[in-house]
Amino acid sequence: MNLIRDIWRSIVRRDPLSTDKGKSELVFLNVWLHIHPAKVKKENMKFRHSFYLGFITFFLFLILLTTGIALMCYYRPYPPQAYQDMKDLQFAVFMGPFLRNMHRWAAHGMVVCVFLHMCRVFYTGSYKKPRQFNWVVGVVLLLLTLGLSFTGYLLPWDQLAFWAITVGSNIGSYAPIVGGQLRELLLGGHSVGEAALLRFYVLHVAVLPSALILLTIVHFWRVRKDGGLSRPVWKLKPKKTENLVTIGVPPAVAPLQTTTASKDKTYGLMEVVTGKPIFETITPEEEEDTVFSYPYAFVREAVVLMGTVTTVMVMSLFLNAPLEQLANPAKTPNPAKAPWYFLGLQELVSHSALLGGVVAPALMVLALLLIPYLDRNPSRHPADRKWILWLFTLFVVANVALIVVGTFFRGPGWALVPPWVHVTGGAE
Amino acid sequence: MERRLQQAFFTLSILALALILAAEWQANTPSWKNYQRTFLQLEAQDEPNAAAKAAVLATPLDIHQVMLTGLQRVDRCTTCHLGVDDPTLKNAPEPYRYHANLGPHIPSKFGCTICHGGQGLATDKQNAHGNVAFWPNPLLSPDYVRASCGRCHKEGDVPGVPELTEGRHLFETQGCRGCHKLNGVGGSIGPDLSEEGASTRSPDWLERHFLAPNAVSAGSAMPNFHFTKDQARALTYYMLSLTNEDMGSYYASVRLIPSPEYGRELFVEKNCIACHNVGGVGAKTGPDLLGVTKRHSPEWLDEQLVNPQLVYPGSSMPEYDLETNARKALLAFMTTATPDDAQSILSGRKTALKPEDVAIEAGKQDFARFGCVGCHGTELQGGVPNPNAQGGEVPSLLHVADDYTKDEVIAIIRDGKAPPLDNPAGPTPPLYMPSWKHVLSDEDIQRVADYLWSKQQKKESW
Repeated sequence: MNLIRDIWRSIVRRDPLSTDKGKSELVFLNVWLHIHPAKVKKENMKFRHSFYLGFITFFLFLILLTTGIALMCYYRPYPPQAYQDMKDLQFAVFMGPFLRNMHRWAAHGMVVCVFLHMCRVFYTGSYKKPRQFNWVVGVVLLLLTLGLSFTGYLLPWDQLAFWAITVGSNIGSYAPIVGGQLRELLLGGHSVGEAALLRFYVLHVAVLPSALILLTIVHFWRVRKDGGLSRPVWKLKPKKTENLVTIGVPPAVAPLQTTTASKDKTYGLMEVVTGKPIFETITPEEEEDTVFSYPYAFVREAVVLMGTVTTVMVMSLFLNAPLEQLANPAKTPNPAKAPWYFLGLQELVSHSALLGGVVAPALMVLALLLIPYLDRNPSRHPADRKWILWLFTLFVVANVALIVVGTFFRGPGWALVPPWVHVTGGAE
Repeated sequence: MERRLQQAFFTLSILALALILAAEWQANTPSWKNYQRTFLQLEAQDEPNAAAKAAVLATPLDIHQVMLTGLQRVDRCTTCHLGVDDPTLKNAPEPYRYHANLGPHIPSKFGCTICHGGQGLATDKQNAHGNVAFWPNPLLSPDYVRASCGRCHKEGDVPGVPELTEGRHLFETQGCRGCHKLNGVGGSIGPDLSEEGASTRSPDWLERHFLAPNAVSAGSAMPNFHFTKDQARALTYYMLSLTNEDMGSYYASVRLIPSPEYGRELFVEKNCIACHNVGGVGAKTGPDLLGVTKRHSPEWLDEQLVNPQLVYPGSSMPEYDLETNARKALLAFMTTATPDDAQSILSGRKTALKPEDVAIEAGKQDFARFGCVGCHGTELQGGVPNPNAQGGEVPSLLHVADDYTKDEVIAIIRDGKAPPLDNPAGPTPPLYMPSWKHVLSDEDIQRVADYLWSKQQKKESW
């Protein structure tokens, strides 16, 4: 029995969880959990602060990773076998439809949640100092998510996939000078074909997921290093500067031992160093307000995880992922639509190729990347940032409205048709 | 709060487990298993003792499939249609009944969907029979299944399917190619028909379309050819057979077709007698064909039919666009052809042979084959309605020599022409003269012009 106990003790070295030391060691000594702080502020765990959107996005990504790897076992990335493999998943693979549905709905959910997460971070002003760079990482993660969804869209090799990618990649080609070449590089030719399918597959299963995983690690790491989750807006103190404190001593003053150390507490210091910490710290009063991550934060995350998984499962049981006819380059559906999250752009392109294909997306991405640096206002109080909140709301509403119009109100020939009017014929 | 969260976690975990079990149950109870169980019970009835009955009932339930690499298909129909190749089940209820009269078309080699349509990969009734969105080829109704024979039997007579022969004949003689492309040859006024059989249009739609084009697709430029019901059905059969699928060599090398009878038809159709004679009966421009199969090897003769210039540089024999089996059929006829055959072919002709007939006949062939007759009529009479064109219809070509020189006509054929408008402010007429320079060689165009001039009627002089 000693042997078994020795082995167990070599794996799990922490004290029993009944002790506070054990609770903090559960986090410290575990490679998977050490991304959490040992203690978290009670207020930060409130659902109405973050809506756990970042967690939901991450959990959806985990679902995508597992179902995606399973789907890879049944998929050959060349036409027309790719389409036949979709049919096999539908008709012959055990639980194949469920697997594919989960991947599909989790993917759409991830695009939605990553966008909502961005909105939450914006509305709570959490991109402000010291979190500017993590916002930039987040914007890149949003773009990677869109890239993953876009590349995955082609893989079923049906009419829907083929023409959405044709339209989508055409939008990209409106960029001056390099647009056409970028498109050719992406497609491996001048039109969507075998080469494009292979390239999209490689991007979808290797390049983009690796990039996304790497940047997610950076993103999480920076959340910790920037001082954990931002404080809920309703908990903000009137004067922000009080939160940033000096530890150690200025170099010119007396030796270390004679300095009374700051009352403020920081985590993660190996040595006592001088200078201002770059991250948010907490005061002793706030320390009173913290609880151990285990079990308080973990149980909440676990509930969100199971909630996400069950929601995707329920959808996958009752809603089937679409699969249209085999891709046929000679038969253009009318209207041919890009994936839904690019329909806002397609709607703009229908008015002006330059505006919708180049100016609008470039400005949007640039503005998103630069927001934390352009917004010099240090306050996170909604009352202090009225106009920028309105501006961002306008951006969100315009995006959603354009997507809704493009998705539901555009019929054959991109004519304005309300969704309740059924148009027959089309490309006859 | 903490307690409630833990409860929520456990509830959700149990819910997730239940959902996985539900998904597994969904995956484990496909409808085909019910069909197989019923089939096994049917089979077990005939077993003599309980042990044998139990053995039959214990047969594992599996998806059955026929892999048809040559047809690029996988047919899973036999998952439910379990008795198709078992003659003892010829009176069994569907879906287990034996498929009689298959001849050489055994299911293990041909599958089911190549003839019947439907979705071979599917394993539930609705999807498999193809009556679902996004599957273009639902099951063909029994009235039209025989049209599928034409997917492999692309030439000549198909025994038991006279409709196909008739449909092809109508297509080539009524000038459909004037507006429609088929396998790369033809006009572009109407849609390309090379994959018409794979389109979503139902046989019923096609048939009504042939009877009255405007009734089913409003504003269609297609003239009403006043086909009879049988002709419309024949054309529908032909359309359904056009899928442009790659059939694989096993299915394309049809041994049935090249018969001397079909060769004789081709000999008449291509008007070989206009140049050649058999034992002295016929024209003398080309060589005597009596015993030609003894003088030359089959390969040599085949090449002569494909590319006469290669075998005999300077030969005046035109290149005929004949498919492999058509050439085989012609050669088969050549081995048996006698002067009597030639005589009967000659007496079937309307006009006597003249030396210039060679070019004129070739021109006439082109005029029909490339679809000029579709608008200008089989007798050059014109008359197909063309709203807002001058005269309101496609012009007759019987008096073309009065208005144009031969070179002008050649130029019009080469480059095409938009019809002069009746009312300049009105809509563009649906029909126009396409440019043929990419389809016809200069020599072909010259022949067509020769043919037109041979048909000119002298205007009444006053």
